Amino acid sequence: MSLKREVDQFANPPRWLFFSPTLEHYYEAFVIQSFVQYLITSAIVAVASTACALVLGTLAAYSLARFELPWNLDRKLSLWILSTRMFPAIVTAVPLFLMMRDLRLLDTRLSLIIVYTGFNLPFVVWMMRGFFVEVPRDLEEAALVDGDSRLGALWRVVLPLVAPGLAATAVFCLIVSWNEFLFALVLTQTDQAMTLPVGIAGRVTQYEIKWGIMSAAGAVAIIPILAFALVVQKYLVRGLSLGAVKG
Amino acid sequence: MQKLTRSFNASRRDLLFATLLVTPALAVLVSLSIYPLLYSIQIALQTDGPAGPTWSFANFSRLAGDNFFLAAMAHTFIYSAVALTFEFVLGFALALILNSTIRGQRVFRAAFLIPMMIPPVVVGVVWRLMLNPNFGAVNGVLRQLGINTEQLTWTASPRLALAAVIAVDVWQWTPFVFLVLLAGLQAIPQEPYEAARVDGSNAWQTFRHVTLPLLKPAILIVLLLRTMDLLRVFDQIFILTEGGPGFATETVSLYIYRAAFRFSDFGYAAAMSFVLLIITNLISAIYIRLLQSREGVA
Repeated sequence: MSLKREVDQFANPPRWLFFSPTLEHYYEAFVIQSFVQYLITSAIVAVASTACALVLGTLAAYSLARFELPWNLDRKLSLWILSTRMFPAIVTAVPLFLMMRDLRLLDTRLSLIIVYTGFNLPFVVWMMRGFFVEVPRDLEEAALVDGDSRLGALWRVVLPLVAPGLAATAVFCLIVSWNEFLFALVLTQTDQAMTLPVGIAGRVTQYEIKWGIMSAAGAVAIIPILAFALVVQKYLVRGLSLGAVKG
Repeated sequence: MQKLTRSFNASRRDLLFATLLVTPALAVLVSLSIYPLLYSIQIALQTDGPAGPTWSFANFSRLAGDNFFLAAMAHTFIYSAVALTFEFVLGFALALILNSTIRGQRVFRAAFLIPMMIPPVVVGVVWRLMLNPNFGAVNGVLRQLGINTEQLTWTASPRLALAAVIAVDVWQWTPFVFLVLLAGLQAIPQEPYEAARVDGSNAWQTFRHVTLPLLKPAILIVLLLRTMDLLRVFDQIFILTEGGPGFATETVSLYIYRAAFRFSDFGYAAAMSFVLLIITNLISAIYIRLLQSREGVA
């Protein structure tokens, strides 16, 4: 659709293959309209929130996987962290909107980065906890005997072992942030902070829909996701089930 | 004695280390989920009067008499129940079929990734286009098959719109059920099947007494995750129908959005969020209880 001229789009019966391809919709979407800006915002927000969630989540996951806290706290905390992921998003959308308004952060990329970090954090903790549990303890203990600090053992011994899992977790966070719609819709108002899904949605709800431009923007939104999905194919089931099923 | 003290010290240092690692993540989660939740309890229980905000249950008592809310509840439950049934039956059937054939599994798995990975907004746009009564692909195909499509206005028809949005959800999420259950099936060891064969049980008996019990954890997890997602559905419906035509496809999430961000009625929206939260929590608690009663197997 994004490659069709407008005359061909509305042809009846539909023209599936035999139409003259054009790139004009891509040009219009990304050069004339503000989709390039949405694309940049989406990329910045996805990368920044993924990085924050990975750092905070991995450290917490390591702690919860390795140390027995008093009163079974490690188990209780893990379950509580998981339960925050189960909230319907709309439940926190209303208070987060009001909080961001009070903090004067509405319509900024920063507000989205903060919210997505919180959104991805429980997922990172659960995924990484699963990967850490699979690493045998002896390796770290050997490093500790060799005079490494706890943090040193984590950094030099354990992290390289879970690197594939870490990469898969990162890709999942990127996909979730890239696709997220509700918070982006609620927390942004103008082109300066809108992400690609909100930009696309904003065009749909107008009276006349420019299907060519929409499809061009949609195609651009899909491409990175497909590339990422192929990368994590091996961990897909595990990621989608929050680490519950090891596929 | 000295040795004991030293190991005690070491474990106390470990404890400090462990706490330091967890604290930042917990702080973020508390400020982004617990605090907002308390904040929304507060705004739900306050109503603006002439003398500033007063505490009352007005927002909650309004719910019972609000036909929009009751209709949204009904749509949410119909949507969730129908979509869950179709996704589970289709996904399970596909998993069982493909588990027995080795060839083509990888290709299927890769192809099945696509619907659930693409942004829900793009899914909504693509289906809105395909379901367009005049130039959409769905009616285009039906017309070429000689079917009269005059009545099939899909998302514009009050009777078909809910069915259309459910069909899109089924299209998008059946692969997820399939992938998780396939992974579950492949994790089942061969021995119980051999034992069943030795005992001379038929295919149905083997499925009923071997496959189903061993697959129960995966089944419950997939049902839990899908139910939670279905009850809060927002994105695709927002794009496909905006809750319309009229309010025929308005789910609770969409109504909350409308109350908060179209009418700025935040207190009422917060009250509705609570009802939704309590319902989802109850349902997930049931699933988790069922899951834990089988923990020994899992």
